[in-house]
Amino acid sequence: MIHMDEEWITSVGIDLGTSTTKCIVSRLRLARKSGAFALPRFEIAERLLTYESAVFSTPLLNRNEIDVARVMQWLEQEYVKAGIRFTDIKSGAVIITGETANKHNAKQLVHYLADRAGDFVVATAGADLESLLSGKGSGAERRSEQSREVICNVDIGGGTANASFFRKGRMIETVTLHVGGRLIQLSPEGQIVYVSEAIRPWLREKGFHLMEGESAAYDYIRLIARQMSRTLLDFLQGLSMQGKLLAVGRVPEAMPPISEMMISGGIGGMLGSEPPQDMKEIAVYGDFGPLLAAALAEECARSSFRLVRSEHAVHATVIGAGMQSTEISGSTLHLTPGMLPMKNIPVVKLEDGDAEAAIRLGLQIYDPVNCPPFALFIPAMKPVRYDMIRRLSESIVQGYRRLVPGCDKLIVVCENDMAKALGQSLMLRSAGELHIVCIDQVKVDHGDYLDLGEPIRGTMIPVIVKTLVFSGS
Amino acid sequence: MNLKTTLLGHTYQFRDLKEIMAKANEEKAGDQLAGIAAENAKERMAAKWVLSELTLEQIRENPLLPPEQDEISRVIEEDLNKKIYAEIRHWSVAELREYLLSSTTGADEIRRVSRGLTSEMIAAVSKVMSNLDLIQAAAKIEVITHCNISIGQKGVLAGRAQPNHPADDVNGIRASLFEALSYGIGDAVIGINPVIDTADSVKAIMNMTKDVINRFQIPTQNCVLAHITTQMRAIRQGGHADLVFQSIAGTEAGNRAFGIDLALLEEADALAHSEGTGAGPNIWYFETGQGSELSGDAHYGMDQVTLEARCYGLARRFKPFIVNTVVGFIGPEYLYDGKQVTRAGLEDHFMGKLHQLPMGVDVCYTNHMKVDQNDMDNLAVLLGTAGVNFIIGVPMADDCMLNYQSTSYHDIATLRETLGLRPAPAFEKWLEKMGIMSGGRLTAAAGDATLFA
Amino acid sequence: MMKQPIDLQELTDRIMKELQERLPQRESVRQESPHSRESAVPAEAPFLEEAPSPMVPKPQSPEQLEEWCASTPARIGVWRAGTRPLTRAMLKFRCDHAAAVDSVYGEVKRETLEHFGLFSVDTQYGNIENYLKRPDMGRVLTDQGTEKLLAECRRNPQVQIVVSDGLSANAIERNLPDVYPALLDSLQANGLNSGTPFFVKGGRVAVMDHIGELLQPEVLVLLIGERPGLVSSASMSAYMCYRPRKGMMESNRTVLSNIHQGGTPPVEAGAHIGTLLRNMLEQQTSGVKLVI
Repeated sequence: MIHMDEEWITSVGIDLGTSTTKCIVSRLRLARKSGAFALPRFEIAERLLTYESAVFSTPLLNRNEIDVARVMQWLEQEYVKAGIRFTDIKSGAVIITGETANKHNAKQLVHYLADRAGDFVVATAGADLESLLSGKGSGAERRSEQSREVICNVDIGGGTANASFFRKGRMIETVTLHVGGRLIQLSPEGQIVYVSEAIRPWLREKGFHLMEGESAAYDYIRLIARQMSRTLLDFLQGLSMQGKLLAVGRVPEAMPPISEMMISGGIGGMLGSEPPQDMKEIAVYGDFGPLLAAALAEECARSSFRLVRSEHAVHATVIGAGMQSTEISGSTLHLTPGMLPMKNIPVVKLEDGDAEAAIRLGLQIYDPVNCPPFALFIPAMKPVRYDMIRRLSESIVQGYRRLVPGCDKLIVVCENDMAKALGQSLMLRSAGELHIVCIDQVKVDHGDYLDLGEPIRGTMIPVIVKTLVFSGS
Repeated sequence: MNLKTTLLGHTYQFRDLKEIMAKANEEKAGDQLAGIAAENAKERMAAKWVLSELTLEQIRENPLLPPEQDEISRVIEEDLNKKIYAEIRHWSVAELREYLLSSTTGADEIRRVSRGLTSEMIAAVSKVMSNLDLIQAAAKIEVITHCNISIGQKGVLAGRAQPNHPADDVNGIRASLFEALSYGIGDAVIGINPVIDTADSVKAIMNMTKDVINRFQIPTQNCVLAHITTQMRAIRQGGHADLVFQSIAGTEAGNRAFGIDLALLEEADALAHSEGTGAGPNIWYFETGQGSELSGDAHYGMDQVTLEARCYGLARRFKPFIVNTVVGFIGPEYLYDGKQVTRAGLEDHFMGKLHQLPMGVDVCYTNHMKVDQNDMDNLAVLLGTAGVNFIIGVPMADDCMLNYQSTSYHDIATLRETLGLRPAPAFEKWLEKMGIMSGGRLTAAAGDATLFA
Repeated sequence: MMKQPIDLQELTDRIMKELQERLPQRESVRQESPHSRESAVPAEAPFLEEAPSPMVPKPQSPEQLEEWCASTPARIGVWRAGTRPLTRAMLKFRCDHAAAVDSVYGEVKRETLEHFGLFSVDTQYGNIENYLKRPDMGRVLTDQGTEKLLAECRRNPQVQIVVSDGLSANAIERNLPDVYPALLDSLQANGLNSGTPFFVKGGRVAVMDHIGELLQPEVLVLLIGERPGLVSSASMSAYMCYRPRKGMMESNRTVLSNIHQGGTPPVEAGAHIGTLLRNMLEQQTSGVKLVI
């Protein structure tokens, strides 16, 4: 057989941040990972960064709204510079990060942008996803594959520090704190211009007094930077809970013990630089970021973990979004032509072979008006027998027809390598009336969202799983 | 040329040298399948008798497959030293046997005479030798080769670590490799048979093994036993290969069935010398095995012992670091039972050594042969006494990817202790440094793969 | 495609709230999932039997040893008595060999063939010893078998399905219940029709050529027991050929091998055969020239 050995796809990442926006273009190489006499299987074997945009100031219409048109205009120019067309882009993600996510039109914007940024670019938001993507982009995830120990990546930008903990190539915990360079802003004259509301309780607790409009001494700002670094590091190491005052969202009950730490984001990029020596030098930047970076470096040196350099410090999040968000389904699947791409499909897990219960649950949680309202996920079963496939397909078809009568689109995701068998069985049992996407070797769970790209050579599809596992209270 | 003899009251008339060579073989299923084997024990002996009286010149002058028709025949003819041949061409096959076994003939004498022998002459003499003859003659020959380290010294038994995995999972391969190293195995080569035939995957295995070698500073060499064209692609894409590998056959047509020819081997040879990572001068690893030409329908009526010898005639040209005859892999239609496998292993080892090749043997069988692990134990001991350069080390002798059984890490360690053999000197030093071996014996720590954790 | 934009965050909140209410096991979902996130599940399923625990008495790193032993079906972490294996490891190995040998000498049950509606014909193999020594005789049907085929089978089918014991009757017993119905589904899903299926006792792969001459199918698929290994003595192959006839080369055939629970998944293998056959019919070729 003449097998395809490899295939390249183009993937983009766009990071719409608090103060800056950037994009990257990457090429992902799918390589055959199966023998000549086995079922075909592909993996993403290589991820190459081919273009990195300059940093662009996030354009605002007013204090509360982002200028969508200008972002789009900028993106078009970047694609020209990168030498790609919108239709070349088969995968990627837009992420809206930091305080930008709280802008009035942020959510509409991220979807608007995703739909126009390429054939299959997905929208992502949320502190946990941001942490995950930055930890992937910084190289922490990959580094942890070869280690038994925990590697923590902290991506620190203007407004937040997103920490992700990895062990054996998997994220095991995440937490976000209000720690960032632009939380305290200074005028060229050394006056306090802005102190974020988010850090005021912590400042009070620590006994600091910062008033907008007043001037502050170099040593005082430096002390705040050092204390903030200490609070962050102690919190991540589980040594002190003071960081709770800075926490965004959920706080884990216990922190995994950290052996190595990486610091990415804008602050991560400044780690190696000479710290500013006086108030004049600080004021050049307009915020206390450089001091925070210097204080962090000092405090890390005093900690028990090793500080390791990240591969892509400044652009970790956008690189994570562009290069690391996509996975590839198994290469034997069943697909009614023309159904893909599809975005933002919520997942319902089908447990104990009970299709009806899963469909009922899905209809209660998700909007039944959508078609398909959700994707069914069938977790691993061992061994996979034909009798089970047949029973499963019959009960899914019956349940779907009865409970979702208005919808002729069915999406099924299997953990086991069985999608072609199940898909064909579903098609036959439904007498061809259902349009089916049945893919496998992707693991998802209740509450996840799935984005499914266009099939590559008709035999596999790019998948982006947006996990919400760490969200909630 | 006399093609006739009378034996036990019956006159046997043979058609030609090809028929004599085939019928003089010990009983082999493959010769029977090809329809060229002796009818019965007496006919076999008649053929041996006639063959023993033929001269080396008669063998050369009656080519079984003329050089004009076959490039392997040409290689064998071209590589023959005509002066040394002229000195011995009048010898009968019987005289050659007795010369090899004579107590005044040592390693140097054999080395010299071997340059005047064609592969067919070497096959011929093996057919009039008993198993113990094959052991004794081979034991005299020392073939030392060097890639990153030297192996083949007298008293050395090296092992190939063969940590295969059914899905080419590099973590699984690495785990099994660490187990091998912890038993002192891996001095011949760290060699993996891949499942996935892409350059990408082959490169990943090459580079993982090279990383392990570098990380623990192991004095050995790596090799991934994919088709040579795949290895070449992997090397060009940045794969680190100390040795390059190919399976070879004894005829041009047989090699074509393997997807190779002489020109391709020469191209690979040039690439390995310019872009391979082995120090050399020996950078090849060849595999052979009786029966492959017949299974590829490329045997021209020749018997499987002669065809095997012709593989060595081809291998000799490339001065390989190691040659491995995979003796029982191909199945019962070629070697039916333990007796046939034992004979073939001893023949191949002897014939290869007489070609001055660094012979190793994959002492192995498949589950549809009338063979079991005890037969492997026996043959491994016989080969250990015959001075085999290396044998194969597979976890508990069970290759979970190729689905056959060979010899184990334990077996190599046992042969070393029982027969007083040692790992390759450079490798043994490293084993001592790692605390795995001391004074030629495994330490209490040996056998724990997590020495490499 | 979604018709209307979704407010992701809002939806998320709703879902998590709902889930919390409805799923008593949510806590365990939360705890388990982080460890199993992000990567696609490896295609090679774990092995049939759980890997036995390592036998090394005092490993430098017990945790690492467990992990390594789980990473390969190879028999590692087995320890030693002197330089020899421990008794259990040695006997386990011999047991697996015994199972493999017995499956070479086994027979497919009559009930199995009846269940799948397969009648049986013989090759000229004669007996098992001869079968092993003379593969050529397993490539030709007996005269009786030939007559039976000509009498019972539809000629010139688009797809001809043949099942044979080959070197492992066990492989047929174990895998046919999964492979065969999945294969029939895949033919139907691909709009292919098949002729009269049957079983060949004592078959070799190239018996396809003889059957091809007799029945003249457009494509033929042979499900046949493989040479047994120790990991599995019940491994099956599917050989496929476009217009099989005398003198076909090995390279003319397309193969899916190592089909067993723990190798190539049987159900999915059966399901994929239809796609391969359709490709062969479209490209009018099989084997090395077939573009997948």
